[in-house]
Amino acid sequence: MGFDPGSPGSRPEPKAGAKPLRHPGIPSPKLAELLHMSTSSFFGLLARLARLCTMPQGLGPQAKPVLSAPRVAVTMVQAAGKKDRPALPLLDESELEEQFVKGHGPGGQATNKTSNCVVLKHIPSGIVVKCHQTRSVDQNRKLARQILQEKVDIFYNGENSIVYKEKQEAEKKKQERKRRAKETLEKKKLLKELRELSKNVH
Amino acid sequence: MELGGRMLWALLSGPGRRGGTRGWAFSSWQPHLPLAGLLNAKELVSHWTAVFEKRGIPEAQASSEYIVAHVLGAKTFQSLRPELWTQPLTPWQLQCIQELSSRRLQRMPVQYILGEWDFQGLSLKMAPPVFIPRPETEELVEWVLEEVAQSPCAMGTQDGPLILEVGCGSGAISLSLLSQLPQSRVIAVDKGEAAICLTEENAQRLRLLDRIRIVPLDVTLEGSWAHLLPWGPVDLVVSNPPYVFHQDMEQLAPEIRSYEDPLALDGGEEGMDIIIHILALARWILKDSGPRFLHIQRSGPRRGCPADAWPGPQPARVPG
Repeated sequence: MGFDPGSPGSRPEPKAGAKPLRHPGIPSPKLAELLHMSTSSFFGLLARLARLCTMPQGLGPQAKPVLSAPRVAVTMVQAAGKKDRPALPLLDESELEEQFVKGHGPGGQATNKTSNCVVLKHIPSGIVVKCHQTRSVDQNRKLARQILQEKVDIFYNGENSIVYKEKQEAEKKKQERKRRAKETLEKKKLLKELRELSKNVH
Repeated sequence: MELGGRMLWALLSGPGRRGGTRGWAFSSWQPHLPLAGLLNAKELVSHWTAVFEKRGIPEAQASSEYIVAHVLGAKTFQSLRPELWTQPLTPWQLQCIQELSSRRLQRMPVQYILGEWDFQGLSLKMAPPVFIPRPETEELVEWVLEEVAQSPCAMGTQDGPLILEVGCGSGAISLSLLSQLPQSRVIAVDKGEAAICLTEENAQRLRLLDRIRIVPLDVTLEGSWAHLLPWGPVDLVVSNPPYVFHQDMEQLAPEIRSYEDPLALDGGEEGMDIIIHILALARWILKDSGPRFLHIQRSGPRRGCPADAWPGPQPARVPG
């Protein structure tokens, strides 16, 4: 079990020019700034991190916890964060109001809260998203933001929104498939009739 | 009442409500549920929410939803396929819900009832009396990850950061760091035997055993952590140590008081008993420029910040 961290003084030196462990594009406020950061700007940082790292980087082959294997399929929460999709307009954290608020009232070890439903409101548009998809507050907060992003996109961009356009694409493809299937069916029918006719003739 | 109805009634009432409360069960039962009808998930949730509320169980609806969802194979009620909300439940499912709900009536925390809970996207086994990871601690993990991202050289990307966690409990912090930092390694210590076993079990389930060393250790015992020194120095020390003031212990909710290990909570008179030792240990085992993370959230007035006592070159980050 475990590993052998090695004898003292034998830690290998980091390679020169070694890559950072996370996305290089993340802004990096200094430690001191972080300490004095207000809650909302801290959440802003979290949100930016979440957007940049929608796929948790470095999740190795051990990513699948055993317990989640036999679960029932998740419902129709929109598949946010698809890789080949153009970027949704970003949300400004200062325009968001979150109802699951940490740090208000007694918290931490002294309490054991399980209701981690996140209610997220986009103040300018008034759109409210409620997310209780997972048992983790952090995950719910991230998901709520993704869902809200899409809703805000639709709200402001209507037919030009990415979601709407994708739906149209999907609908188009579906109609196309239907049309082709119908064509094939009619062709087969026609061929059959022709065969019948030629039989009767002989 | 026919047999089916009688069985349903028995399955829908909690324990200790027999005899004289039969009238109560009946009168509150009829308006809520179809007579002798088949019950679906939504109805069960409503029913148990009402039962919990009546008995003063906190988070009545959330508890009920988690239990029903769990029996139906989902993590949350909202994540269940909508068609399952209105599908009739089998007698076996009703029985399971009944058993789990009766434990909730005994104020058992939901996480212990389900035997599992999620933390930072990982599904972890939960078992009393091992401390249940708090949602605020997920934030601590985020901070650590940020710190690592910002100072890659100091963290030694070759082998990833070497992290020491004091008081690993179920292994939540250690395992989520390991899973998100593929080059990292962890030394996780705890003074509780049950915690050591549970962390091992969770590490095994997540196949992270090869990168974690789990050591039974009481950091408050003189010289006890000396034998960790050969494994160091470490890049980071992380902990969510006991910090509740001793005199506040008896005011804790029954869920916590009766089920979670008090040693995982009680920080002594000043709430600092274990913290002081962690700071001392960190001084010896931490690399010179390493940050250290203590997760301390107080509800009452702060009686002295551990950061004030910190002798190291960098301030200890004490969030909250």
